[in-house]
Amino acid sequence: MFKKILIANRGEITCRVIKTARKMGIKTVAVYSEADKNALHVELADEAVCIGPAASKESYLVMDKIIAACKQTGAEAVHPGYGFLSENAEFSRRLEEEGIKFIGPKHYSVAKMGDKIESKKLAIAAGVNTIPGYNDAISGPDEAVEIAKKIGYPVMIKASAGGGGKGLRVAFNDKEAHEGFASCVNEARNAFGDDRVFIEKYVLEPRHIEIQVLGDSHGNYVYLNERDCSIQRRHQKVIEEAPSPFVDPAMRKAMGEQAVALARAVNYESAGTVEFVVSGATKEFYFLEMNTRLQVEHPVTELITGLDLVEQMIRVAYGEKLPLAQADVKIDGWAMECRINAEDPFRGFLPSTGRLIKFQPPAEGNGVRVDTGVYEGGEISMFYDSMIAKLIVHGKDRQDAIERMRDALNGFVIRGISSNIPFQAALLQHPRFCSGHFNTGFIAEEYPKGFDASMVPHDDPALLAAVATFARMRYIERAVQIEGQLAGHGRKVASEWVVVMGGKQYAMRTAAIEGGLAVTCEGRTYNIVSDWKFGELLFAGTVNGAPIGLQIERRGLRYRISHFGLQVEPVVMTVRAAHLLSLMPAKLPPDLSKFLLSPMPGLLREIAVTEGQDVKAGEKLAIIEAMKMENVLKAEQDGKVKKIVAKPGASLSVDEVIIEFE
Amino acid sequence: MQDIIRQLEKKRELARLGGGQKRIDAQHRKGKLTARERIELLLDDDSFEEWDMYKEHRCTEFGMDAEHIPGDGVVTGYGTVNGRLVFVFSQDFTVFGGSLSETHAEKICKVMDHAMKVGAPVIGLNDSGGARIQEGVDSLGGYADVFQRNVLASGVIPQISLIMGPCAGGAVYSPAMTDFIFMVKDSSYMFVTGPEVVKTVTHEEVTAEELGGAVTHNTKSGVADLAFENDVEALMMTRRLIGFLPSSNREKPPAIPCADSADRIDLSLDTLVPENPNQPYDMKELIFKMVDDGDFFELQPDYAKNIIIGLARMEGSPVGIVANQPLVLAGCLDIKSSIKAARFVRFCDAFNIPVVTLVDVPGFMPGTAQEYGGIIKHGAKLLYAYAECTVPKVTLITRKAYGGAYDVMSSKHLRGDVNLAWPSAEIAVMGAKGAVEIIFREEKGDPEKLAQREAEYKARFANPFVAASRGFIDDVVMPHNTRKRICRSLAMLRDKQLDNPWRKHGNIPL
Repeated sequence: MFKKILIANRGEITCRVIKTARKMGIKTVAVYSEADKNALHVELADEAVCIGPAASKESYLVMDKIIAACKQTGAEAVHPGYGFLSENAEFSRRLEEEGIKFIGPKHYSVAKMGDKIESKKLAIAAGVNTIPGYNDAISGPDEAVEIAKKIGYPVMIKASAGGGGKGLRVAFNDKEAHEGFASCVNEARNAFGDDRVFIEKYVLEPRHIEIQVLGDSHGNYVYLNERDCSIQRRHQKVIEEAPSPFVDPAMRKAMGEQAVALARAVNYESAGTVEFVVSGATKEFYFLEMNTRLQVEHPVTELITGLDLVEQMIRVAYGEKLPLAQADVKIDGWAMECRINAEDPFRGFLPSTGRLIKFQPPAEGNGVRVDTGVYEGGEISMFYDSMIAKLIVHGKDRQDAIERMRDALNGFVIRGISSNIPFQAALLQHPRFCSGHFNTGFIAEEYPKGFDASMVPHDDPALLAAVATFARMRYIERAVQIEGQLAGHGRKVASEWVVVMGGKQYAMRTAAIEGGLAVTCEGRTYNIVSDWKFGELLFAGTVNGAPIGLQIERRGLRYRISHFGLQVEPVVMTVRAAHLLSLMPAKLPPDLSKFLLSPMPGLLREIAVTEGQDVKAGEKLAIIEAMKMENVLKAEQDGKVKKIVAKPGASLSVDEVIIEFE
Repeated sequence: MQDIIRQLEKKRELARLGGGQKRIDAQHRKGKLTARERIELLLDDDSFEEWDMYKEHRCTEFGMDAEHIPGDGVVTGYGTVNGRLVFVFSQDFTVFGGSLSETHAEKICKVMDHAMKVGAPVIGLNDSGGARIQEGVDSLGGYADVFQRNVLASGVIPQISLIMGPCAGGAVYSPAMTDFIFMVKDSSYMFVTGPEVVKTVTHEEVTAEELGGAVTHNTKSGVADLAFENDVEALMMTRRLIGFLPSSNREKPPAIPCADSADRIDLSLDTLVPENPNQPYDMKELIFKMVDDGDFFELQPDYAKNIIIGLARMEGSPVGIVANQPLVLAGCLDIKSSIKAARFVRFCDAFNIPVVTLVDVPGFMPGTAQEYGGIIKHGAKLLYAYAECTVPKVTLITRKAYGGAYDVMSSKHLRGDVNLAWPSAEIAVMGAKGAVEIIFREEKGDPEKLAQREAEYKARFANPFVAASRGFIDDVVMPHNTRKRICRSLAMLRDKQLDNPWRKHGNIPL
């Protein structure tokens, strides 16, 4: 076996590979950019080599530097992770030339699968279902329309070199096909420097289902079942699961065998993924592309098959034979993965960067796995991907996995930056998600205007009010033990309280029970038992015997409670205080439409208007630079600039006022 | 006898109604509670003992002899907050607009005198239209009687003012002399002269809220210490503040049982200070991670944000925290922040509350605005406050401690009891760049050489060791151990005794 390998990547996947290498007794070398000097993967590796500045194209994407690092450290093989150089045939070839093993497929396999048109031709030859379409060069819009008609609408016009949603159009009629072709060619030329496009059938109710394959250098192949990655937001996977709630054994076998046929056609030696689009309406499946690398979502396959895919990749690269045949591949229970991203779901999923003031993932074990490359006190920089962790659960069936995931999300503490946990929690509560009947349009259809706090369902808000009461009682229990009281005139603590939460008042009655407090609200009694101590972020205990986990922190008089993605800020007060509060006229929230607020922390680059100027909706108001990106802020409505509050050059925090309107 | 009791009940009922239901409703419509309702929320249930409920004014001018409302516009007495004694007066806007008469003032003076005698805080709930004009100089005299007591009580018993309605003209000077001022947004304001007069004199058009509202005094003037959304919040938070304060200067501040381990380590603090010395970080993270339960009662959070002040507990016992905030103005000391911190340090010193100082200060703010504004005298206030302070003083330098500002921020030289530093501490006269430009002035034209000199200077002074070798730093501590080390230092200092030489009073550079 290899003595030492280098991982040409960063973040969670590098940490993930190191874990397996360590288990196998292989020494590891990490590479890092200057921005990643203090990153977890550098800390975990046995050795680490700096390969340049923060920008990926000056560090993680520079083959020479990685090859030099291998030579410097004596690494015999390179695991590329995903992204960066993982699907770069040139890299694979150059390593081979240098006598360094590439822990991945051979460069010719990578090259063949790297081109969408080429790979489709190969697939057809291998007997793999492909989407009806036209793969040759198209002369112009008129020919595009002819082809579209032949295939039958709807059709999809897609850039050959495209990806991630770029260079993609859907046409439902001739006119759209005509226009879509032209704009797609333009975009493809600009974005990829390659204006080849192809046209194919647009699949209705499409699900994204992919087959994990594994091949060795001895001509052995297996498929390791499927993963359903249909839950996507703007073509980025959000939740993945294995098996798929849609796939039956016959379908699995058919898809699996086609995937293996394709792998065989390119002498595929390593772990790879054959992606299919599956029609939720007809169950037909069509080959999309083959990813010649380890996928982000590989852990769900690992959990249901009991295999360590990274280990298999390393063994195959070393020349070993696969340890199992197709008949040995099993499906054990259900696995699900949530990608935890540093982004703010309540602000249009804008990336969130900064210091991780708190980062406490749920405890691993008992069906919970956390793959991460960050740590508490670490920095989420603006240079790389926003995914900071993968939360993976393993349950006995889909329902069990969903429940475990919901609990695990409740226990995932992240502070300092925003995360998509509330959104993930909301998805896991969504009846359509829970039913398993969804397609890749799920998020766009269910959240057409984005996501806001009102879209997080909670079936029992009174429970959260009861927990707040519990916390308040813990606080009072201690407060009444303060020194210096008038002897014999201590505070009489009431047993009736009111929780003010979300504009509603909940009347509470409390009574002590063993190890906790019974809180009665609207005729329902919550027997809360917990050894939670004041100041702890995680609240764990039982309510009426059933376990509960949530996050709670005090903010002035409020408790901020997060549970199943819902965040509430209850205040617990005496009955009298609540009554008096209700006598007060409600204060109208400030009219924020009169202000331009900074949507993100950043540097105010430019103010494009002057005081007293009339502006029209859509007009440029200011530019904020954040994460090296210029964000243009536009007027949402017509108005007149009253005052420019922030000056160019100012560093702004979120919601800071930039311009005031009349 | 029955008759007397009936009369008593009737009188009580009348007094409780203050200015009558109509005025009570009007008060509520304005988003304000009545004087009695406020007391109810401030004190423990059922603990209020009212005095002088039947007291009435003695004015006979301008038809006042026909108008008598028992209590005369202020409710006074005592009660408890979590079982601890406090005295309270609460002005009743429904009675003569809460205006201060001679008798109204007498009632306030009575509770203040008692508070001084027994050593308990006075909490004033202010909601008054001002002087009772019909009484003329009697009313003014009443104000001055209160002022005099405020001054004599200062530093003896804690005095807290809640501004929950108008507080204008001379009336502002009583709260001004108390230890803390809390205000309610949209329903309270304080100013010496109101918008009308301002308009005639200076031609400025300004609303009462803009001139002296809660937001103004919490962000611009620094007169107030906290602002709240409504009366209920203000009163609940006042209860919380009282929990940090001793009843008088004769006591130590009150401890509560503490479940947060003094040994709790926090590895994330090891990465709090960025490697780039010019990159800011949030000092509040250190405070939250250091104190008991992450519970920090910050004062003046929106004023002079380059310095942070507030109360917290370490192992159950209250401490005052003063910290430079690198996020704002790089944590520089300027006029506003010096005054803000100086007053807080003196408060802690007066009431036996140990002071924990967290230092990351690149120096005093330069500029004509600062010099013309008298930064010399104002900066000296903070220096004076730390130097005269005799309570336990624990100081931690997290990063920069440059120049005179190093001396000021509770340094060893100002009788700092325990002075600690993180390994990232840089204790020097100034930053390396500035220093080499002065020391090696003749090499100015040679940037290469200058860079080398800078590196040399950095190597020599950009660390805590020079100061430690002099004993100015007692120890260099790992950030993750901060809580443990500070808890131990405070425990060691618990019975510290130190007296300043006798004098009538010092002459702080006001």
